[in-house]
Amino acid sequence: MEYAVSVKSLSKKYKLYTDKWGPIKEVISKKKLHNEFLALNNISLDFPKGESIGVLGKNGSGKSTLLKIITGIAEPSNGNVDVRGSLVFLDVSSGIDAELSGYDNIFMKGTLLGYSREEMQEKLDDIIDFSELEEFIHQPVKNYSSGMRAKLGFAISVNVNPDILIVDEALAVGDSIFREKCMKKMNEFKEKGKTIIFVSHDKNAVESFCSKAAWIHKGQLVMYGESKEVCRDYQLFMSGKRSIESIKAEKTLINMVEEVKTEGQYNSKIRISGKLYENSTNSSEGSYRIKLINNRTRQHVTIPIERNRYNGEDSEIPKERLSTAGFTASVQLEEYSQFLLPDNYSFYIQLSQDGNWAEVPLSAGKEFSAVQLDSSLPKFRTEIITLNDQLSIKVENHKKLNEQVNKIWYEENYLCLEGVAYVKELETTKESDVSLNLILKNKETYESKSFKATMLYTKEITDNSSLNPEKKNYDYSHFSCKVCLDDLGEGELEAYFHFEHLSGAEIYASAWASLFQNYDTALREIGHKTAEVKTVSKYLTIELKKK
Amino acid sequence: MFMIYKEMWNRRKMIHTLSLQEMKREYAGTVLGAFWGLVNPLMRIAVFWFVFSVGARAGGPVNGAPFIAWLSIGMVAWFLLNDGFKLSQKSFRSKRNIIKNTPFPISILPAVQIAFAFYTHLILLVVMLVITAIGLKSISFYWLQILYYDFAALMLLIGLGAVTAPIVAVSKDFGRFLDTILVFLFWMTPIFWSIENLKGLEQLWFIEYIVKLNPFHYIVQGYRDSVFYQVGFWEQPVYTLYFWGLVFFLLILGNYLYKRMKPIFLDLL
Repeated sequence: MEYAVSVKSLSKKYKLYTDKWGPIKEVISKKKLHNEFLALNNISLDFPKGESIGVLGKNGSGKSTLLKIITGIAEPSNGNVDVRGSLVFLDVSSGIDAELSGYDNIFMKGTLLGYSREEMQEKLDDIIDFSELEEFIHQPVKNYSSGMRAKLGFAISVNVNPDILIVDEALAVGDSIFREKCMKKMNEFKEKGKTIIFVSHDKNAVESFCSKAAWIHKGQLVMYGESKEVCRDYQLFMSGKRSIESIKAEKTLINMVEEVKTEGQYNSKIRISGKLYENSTNSSEGSYRIKLINNRTRQHVTIPIERNRYNGEDSEIPKERLSTAGFTASVQLEEYSQFLLPDNYSFYIQLSQDGNWAEVPLSAGKEFSAVQLDSSLPKFRTEIITLNDQLSIKVENHKKLNEQVNKIWYEENYLCLEGVAYVKELETTKESDVSLNLILKNKETYESKSFKATMLYTKEITDNSSLNPEKKNYDYSHFSCKVCLDDLGEGELEAYFHFEHLSGAEIYASAWASLFQNYDTALREIGHKTAEVKTVSKYLTIELKKK
Repeated sequence: MFMIYKEMWNRRKMIHTLSLQEMKREYAGTVLGAFWGLVNPLMRIAVFWFVFSVGARAGGPVNGAPFIAWLSIGMVAWFLLNDGFKLSQKSFRSKRNIIKNTPFPISILPAVQIAFAFYTHLILLVVMLVITAIGLKSISFYWLQILYYDFAALMLLIGLGAVTAPIVAVSKDFGRFLDTILVFLFWMTPIFWSIENLKGLEQLWFIEYIVKLNPFHYIVQGYRDSVFYQVGFWEQPVYTLYFWGLVFFLLILGNYLYKRMKPIFLDLL
């Protein structure tokens, strides 16, 4: 592959002195009086010719330092840079002299870039045209707006026609029309087989414009590849969904579930086995474990795993790693009966690295077929499946709970609820046939509290022929429940029903509350707290706050 | 050993253009433009002449040359040295905006500033020579020797600029220190007092030699020798040799310092 710029094991160290006499004292006393700051740490990267390459990273990640070294504005502490072709560096201020007029600046910048006056004269019209400055071109630049300066800088840089154009966040200032124009110009540039290095912290700009992207974080190259992939992972990181360690680990930590077996009474013990190894040269071989996470609430549990010999066939595993390339994990589902309530759960492999846990999805290939744990947990239908190639558990109620909160009101320190709850085919002729608990679960701490509801006699469902065409008996299908708010901690509490029937059936479901007009949703002061009933999502939540 | 000077030579066109830009920049927004480059030194010469000949009554002819002419020619040389040195030592620091934004051979920056000072100097020189020629009603071939002394001044300035600019870029204090030194040199160099005056001090005979060690004196004296006394630089071979030896040393040191300190001052600027 032909490259325009090649960077090899580049590092940049800055010395930070806290004392302004520090540098002098250091020379005299030969003691180290500075802190070293590694702006770039061993970066190797090839920028291929004729492509536009994005450099992503948040502020202070070192991306601008990298550019400065490539352009020769800064010198590297280590490593080397090879640039093939003429190069123009464009950033917001672009070395434009505020005292001179725009017109003079064109020649000034041209001279600095090594063009003669005559050569610049030829490009002059194009530049003035492109900059949209018109009659302002003869005004001193100090009177320009920042947008006008950026326009001038960009107009000069693209029209001198370099082989490599380096753009550092310069387009952030211009308006959208000008930005579009710049993009068009840069696209023309690309078509001519020239190279563009585009630096931004905005993944959208990089994604739409660049074919490749490099992501730099804290001076280190995290990823380099197709811009789509890099941008996706960058976005996941920036939005806080995944850590850098996890994103890095995903590239190097190869894992695949190959077998899921059930054992024990009720098939309630599952054994997961497959392969797991690190495909990198500097394998740290930290400790591993499995994380099982509730996809909705993000509540999770961890499960230990055992590393063992890999017996399957995989020629890609290095021989010396075979002895630890397999893994098994056993899960006793009863242990997690409080955790595995009806919902979706996903498996991750976690790897400890310097005190941080990196995690990658535990992958399960296409050949993996779902394992139904019919009788493992009699309460709920539990199934081990693959979801987007990731090993997951789906837990469902066997039956559907028909429920609705009809009324919510306050009585002193109590929140009172009334409503309907019944399950088709589970008849309730006596009060003792059924037991219903309202569970309030804190969204952040997962702490939950259960409140017993009283079942009340009603003929409403039994006599309703459209809801009950089979004419079954649901005489105890009304409930009333009182929640003492004094006992509850602060936070947002989600409401669930736990329905138990004499027959042994158990159902666990979010409390449905769609009759807004019947609820007291005003902010209520209870002791030192305020309470508020929220039903925006049509599922009931109660928010308790400190006054 | 002479890497940066080779660079300067290769980029002489760029230096020329940039120094003209510099002049444009200097006088941007003024109506009279480069005319100020002439007015300011003329005014300063006038003030010094007034102070010394009218105020201090010290303005007698120097070895037959009228004091005002003698002072002016010396000052013309001094202005070149003073401005060139002052601008070139600050060149990296004052052009940091460009250095930090545009990749280009920054080693030429001291030369750009010296060229700028030189072009301003040329205008003044021509004006002063014309006035002197008319005033003295005489002209000689020795006046051409000014070309040699200008060349010598430029080489000296490049050497000094190359040595000081990287250090000033790293240490602002050093820049202040040099400014102070310049004021000191101005009074210590026989610019409006003749070195002949030192000959009267019997016990302090060595002061004359110390003053002569100052390379600026070589240029200022050379100017006067050329215009008034018709003395060729070859008539004082030891002094000439000393001067060029010093310039040579400065050039080598400047090249070394630039190479050593570039990575440091790029970070610190």
